[in-house]
Amino acid sequence: MASSSQFKQLEKLGNGTYATVYKGLNKTTGVYVALKEVKLDSEEGTPSTAIREISLMKELKHENIVRLYDVIHTENKLTLVFEFMDNDLKKYMDSRTVGNNPQGLELSLVKYFEWQLLQGVAFCHENKILHRDLKPQNLLINNKGQLKLGDFGLARAFGIPVNTFSSEVVTLWYRAPDVLMGSRTYSTSIDIWSCGCILAEMITGKPLFPGTNDEEQLKLIFETMGTPTERTWPGVSSLPKYNPQFPQHLPKDLGALLQSQTREKLDGSVIDLLHGLLKLNPDKRLSAKQALNHPWFSEYYQ
Amino acid sequence: MSTKESVEVKPNNHVLQEDQQKDVPLLGHEEENEIPKIVLPADFRKCSRTDLVILISRMLSFLIHINDSMPKGETKELTRFHSRVPPDISVFNYLMRLTKYSSLEPAVLISSVYYIDLLSSVYSAFTLNSLTVHRFLLTATSVGSKGLCDSFCTNTHYAKVGGVQCSELHVLENEFLKRVNYRILPRDDNITNCKMEKQCGTFVTNTPPEVYKTANNGFNVLNTYYRKIIEIVGSFHSSPDKTKKVHYSLSPSSSHEAPRETSKKRHFDETNNPSNAHSPSLKKPA
Repeated sequence: MASSSQFKQLEKLGNGTYATVYKGLNKTTGVYVALKEVKLDSEEGTPSTAIREISLMKELKHENIVRLYDVIHTENKLTLVFEFMDNDLKKYMDSRTVGNNPQGLELSLVKYFEWQLLQGVAFCHENKILHRDLKPQNLLINNKGQLKLGDFGLARAFGIPVNTFSSEVVTLWYRAPDVLMGSRTYSTSIDIWSCGCILAEMITGKPLFPGTNDEEQLKLIFETMGTPTERTWPGVSSLPKYNPQFPQHLPKDLGALLQSQTREKLDGSVIDLLHGLLKLNPDKRLSAKQALNHPWFSEYYQ
Repeated sequence: MSTKESVEVKPNNHVLQEDQQKDVPLLGHEEENEIPKIVLPADFRKCSRTDLVILISRMLSFLIHINDSMPKGETKELTRFHSRVPPDISVFNYLMRLTKYSSLEPAVLISSVYYIDLLSSVYSAFTLNSLTVHRFLLTATSVGSKGLCDSFCTNTHYAKVGGVQCSELHVLENEFLKRVNYRILPRDDNITNCKMEKQCGTFVTNTPPEVYKTANNGFNVLNTYYRKIIEIVGSFHSSPDKTKKVHYSLSPSSSHEAPRETSKKRHFDETNNPSNAHSPSLKKPA
């Protein structure tokens, strides 16, 4: 394992949920890295998020997942040495805001990013790992246009039969309706919903469902996607936080809604994919593999 | 989760004593001196935690009995898991205590048995014996809860329940994680990979993960351990731990999963020393 003297610490890149990230230089190889410093808490010891992130990311070697190279343990902190990435999708989109108007990305770039996102997610799911916190801030990009999944602090292996599944997962705006209604039996579909929200956000430059609390989040989702019923989603009424008094909405025309927020010409194909990713009923949502086979991506097939 | 009820730590308190008495169906007064029989569910998540704790205590006591009787000359160097003298509290009472006050899940309990094999495979100085078992269990269960489950407690809480200083638990946790190179996921290929990393002295090996893709993505380990534990110490006579007079067997419905059986068996024998098909955690007496 590496020692901390092997790296030169450069500028701060950001504050994560449980850590501070610096740019670093590997003095022997001359390669830039990201150094994620985790403070060892006197109550908690090694944070659970760090244990998960390290144990899960060790398993995940894929070009669309940020590589964890090493872990350095010193007296009161743990440093995770990651592959260096220039930016994250959130900052990248923010940087393109003109005045107060968020701008979507070019459709060809949206497609390339979404393709890579789904490749990374498909690989996690194949390896029985749920990310559970997909959002633009956690998607890292570099100057070559590569996109990689990062921040696995909330992730978990789902092949291990444990009884407790938390419903306090995924940042609100990207959280699936079944999870919002308290489902604890979610699986890979939880990440797919987030992939749908991110796709729409890349197109318009604005978050699709920017709720401020659980209730409003569900309201925003139902206003656009329609309020689910037992007929459209068998079993929905037995979810813990299902409310028979939910205001009834019919699905809106998602294509027209997004088209009004971008200058790019949206074709039916991308809207069809979005509908597949944003199915309210988790059982009906596309899998990452199915999404990659969607005709919208046909130019990438060989 | 914050299970922060105050817990007084004193050795020899018989936690959950009432649980030991109930749920013992007397299935017959045949031969075996009226030893009751309990049929355990095929799915370990449905197994009562008391039964699981009894089984695991039997398994550990069985290993400790063998390892404690190793010839003196083979006594290994001291590890961080060593106590100066064997703590007063029995393995069963200690594990029951951890299970109750730290709400350990069945998967975590079984993982802790798996972690014996994992740690032994890369840390030859470590042996499970009457001096190491308590600190090992405390470390294994708290790391397992934090790494595998969505509900877990702070080290302060685990340390209090386990009867060590919190700072010592931090050290133990770190020692364990470093020794196994953070490979705490109970997967088929995990011990193999862990050994490989140890051999190469690298944090991660460059083996493409595809090579290891097996049925069920390699998450059969805990099922395998559950079955093996019942097989080895299900019988009341099999272990020095006599906490509960009962014979355990596995529900026959589990044989419906026959197709997966072969791969599981093969794994068990591959991953672990075949000459010790009984249990890999078992260090053979010289």
